[in-house]
Amino acid sequence: MSQPATSPLLASLLDAPLPVSGIDWLDAARCENHNAFAAAGLPDTRVEAWKYTGLRALTQRSFASGDADAQSRVVDTSHFVLPGADGPRVVFVNGVFRADLSSIDALPPGLLLQPLSVALKENAEPLRFALSRHYREEGDAFARINAACADDGVMLRVATHAKIEVPIHLVFVGAAADADLAWHVRNVIEIGEGASLELVEHHLASGEQNHLATLVADIELREGARMRHTLLQNAAVGANLMRRSSFRLHARAHATLHALELGGALVRHDLRAQLLGDEARFDTRGVFMPHGRQHIDTQMAIRHEALNTVSTSVWRGVASDRARGVFRGAILVAPGADGSDASLSNKNLLLSTGAEIDTKPELEIHADEVKAAHGATVGQLDERSLFYLRSRGIPMVEARALLTAAFCRAVLDDLPNEALRDHLSTLLIEHLPA
Amino acid sequence: MNNDTVIQETNIALRDNAEVAAALGRSYAAGFVTDIEMTSLPPGLSEDIIRQLSAIKQEPEWMTEWRLDAYRHWLTMPMPDWAKLKIAPIDYQALSYYAAPKAGPKSLDEVDPALLEAYEKLGVPLHERARLAGVAVDAVFDSVSVGTTFRKELAAAGVLFCSMSEAIREYPDIVRKYLGSVVPTGDNYFAALNSAVFSDGSFVFIPKGVRCPMELSTYFRINAQNTGQFERTLIVAEEGSHVSYLEGCTAPRRDENQLHAAVVELVALEKAQIKYSTVQNWYPGDENGVGGIYNFVTKRGDCRGDDSKISWTQVETGSAVTWKYPSVILRGDRSVGEFYSVALTHHHQQADTGTKMIHIGKHTKSKIVSKGISAGRSSNSYRGLVKMENGAEGARNYTQCDSLLIGKKCGAHTFPYMEVKNPTAIVEHEATTSKISDDQMFYCRARGISEENAVSMIVDGFCKQVFRELPMEFAVEAKKLLEVSLEGAVG
Repeated sequence: MSQPATSPLLASLLDAPLPVSGIDWLDAARCENHNAFAAAGLPDTRVEAWKYTGLRALTQRSFASGDADAQSRVVDTSHFVLPGADGPRVVFVNGVFRADLSSIDALPPGLLLQPLSVALKENAEPLRFALSRHYREEGDAFARINAACADDGVMLRVATHAKIEVPIHLVFVGAAADADLAWHVRNVIEIGEGASLELVEHHLASGEQNHLATLVADIELREGARMRHTLLQNAAVGANLMRRSSFRLHARAHATLHALELGGALVRHDLRAQLLGDEARFDTRGVFMPHGRQHIDTQMAIRHEALNTVSTSVWRGVASDRARGVFRGAILVAPGADGSDASLSNKNLLLSTGAEIDTKPELEIHADEVKAAHGATVGQLDERSLFYLRSRGIPMVEARALLTAAFCRAVLDDLPNEALRDHLSTLLIEHLPA
Repeated sequence: MNNDTVIQETNIALRDNAEVAAALGRSYAAGFVTDIEMTSLPPGLSEDIIRQLSAIKQEPEWMTEWRLDAYRHWLTMPMPDWAKLKIAPIDYQALSYYAAPKAGPKSLDEVDPALLEAYEKLGVPLHERARLAGVAVDAVFDSVSVGTTFRKELAAAGVLFCSMSEAIREYPDIVRKYLGSVVPTGDNYFAALNSAVFSDGSFVFIPKGVRCPMELSTYFRINAQNTGQFERTLIVAEEGSHVSYLEGCTAPRRDENQLHAAVVELVALEKAQIKYSTVQNWYPGDENGVGGIYNFVTKRGDCRGDDSKISWTQVETGSAVTWKYPSVILRGDRSVGEFYSVALTHHHQQADTGTKMIHIGKHTKSKIVSKGISAGRSSNSYRGLVKMENGAEGARNYTQCDSLLIGKKCGAHTFPYMEVKNPTAIVEHEATTSKISDDQMFYCRARGISEENAVSMIVDGFCKQVFRELPMEFAVEAKKLLEVSLEGAVG
């Protein structure tokens, strides 16, 4: 491999000191990933996974490592209060755990929820599988630097057969600081056999800032486990977020994800799921709505590796102004994964000249007893529908907003948490392009 | 069954035609065949070899330079590895880039019985079999004079149709103007290689306002057998003209060359229409994946003029490895691009094929219908790009990709790329993958249709949308071809 070109971004990320845990396997993994990051550098658009997301502008910037003042930053609690997410809450400000803002004292039985740093001190062994991974794929740069540098995050474990009724709220605040910061968060989540959990992951801004955040989450659902995951990404307009979540679903496990991607300057969401056990099921619903000069890239890869597994995916994109929305939805059915049923729909609205949508649904099928289908469209609001509304006295702007909202609503329709659903719908409407 | 009657009738018609043609074709029209030097070049690739090749073909200086430029560019390029193909390394220095045509078997008795059996199944007329099997030209009724008859008619219409080598000598201005203007010499690895060492191919020029009086086919061209492994085809349709071109043949052909890297360029000027149909049935290798042709093709059409139209139709059943993406650049306003494809892979065949539709002009339209059938241990991928550039006001694309799986060990993949920069453009893509359903099979079997026939019927229905686009006799042959290619896929 050729020597990667050095850039201010690469230099500043490599400059950060590696955290030392004193746990051999962890320090070794951090070192390994750090070396891999240093050796390969950042991907350019020739790397297939980054074809539509150029990092050139980002590589010219440098970020200070971590936030020493994170504990003292003033964050208005009302910012992150979410209707329908009133259970235990964990709050991170610029990647640093804030005990004063979190509420994890009275946890329901069967739920273990603590900062990763604490979990590592108490009992690191159960985290070994997730945290000793090496990221070897081309283009894994941000996962590598996260694995090397993240020293905190969320450790969440639900005991076998525990049904956690209250939603858990994970909050990641990007707070204004004197410098642009780079921070890394690592989440490890495990839902035990037959257990269930609702999780709300929430990214938001407190003041203007242009930080670079990376987040890597490993989510394991044991046999028969259920998880409802809602992701609300409403980061600052200038913020950069590189997020990767990897789901592993065992037999009869069922995970649903509702994602609303609204904020950020450059946002990349790598979403991976492995359906490892028979009859596992993964349902995703998402909206990405970049405007201004935002760039939101969602890369989803679902692997059906067992019998009678099901995945459904419904994604909507709306790009306006000079924004760019990128979507990849790859479905793989492994040899022998008979009875797999996979469907994916990605519809996009392109609302202005200068905006761009790039979409790439993929099917890779290695078994024959399967049903697999995908559809993707890029277009604009239906003229006839617009005419219908306008002929009934609804002004153009409102008519467009109505239709755009309706276009996105399908994604939220089956979110069972009603209060949260209503709130997200309101947010969506507020966020509609003018 | 109805279909069988149609096939029989068509075959009889074809045979009758061929008999008439044969009767006409007893005399050998000297002077029509391009002079073929009985020289061979030693294996290897270098500037010297290219100069010699160019000299043997009596090419002008500019052509030699053009080849050398391409070669120098090729040297700087890496072999592409993005396709979903497993390709054993190719030693380009071990290939011979010019070989005098070999004398084929002297009579049908010397031809591989397996090949004859395939002809039998396809219903290829007897004397055709000899020609296809490469039996020495003077031992069979060649289509020489058939070709000459056609040439007279074409000449009357002002259509130029000849081999590329001939065109370079006879019509250098036209060739120079258009060659490499759609697929530049450095376009991709295989196109660069082809530009450096292309052996021969077809050249078609339809002047302004002319509707080509017949469907053109390499079949009518005498030296078509020797186009070699690096075929180069150029079709130019001037303002308001119209041409339909058929490439290939349903009958299997044995070929000494393992590597084929062809380039086809189409240019459609204002209101011109080009329809290009291909049936590719090169040797796919045996059941164990040994042998077989590597088919790396760059095909691209350029709708340069307003209201022009380019349509690609392909039936791909042969070759061990296929790497092919016939594309259309929709430059002219209201221009139309179409791609209809059936790709069938069996045993250990691998195909990575699809199309690109680049919408540049206003109100341009494209339609993609791709049907992939995988059987045995094969791998079949559709890879396509639909791109709406900023100026593609009101452009429209519709894509449909369906894959059919026959067997547990094969793979069917779909990789569509959609890039949209214009807010008034509409792009739609749909894809499905499934196997032949048990219900369908049960229905057919319950009505006394054998398993093999049922599969072939269902596959035929699956491909109908594409077959409809083929010229009639091609369509009938294509159906038959799928049947033969799928033999042994069931049970």
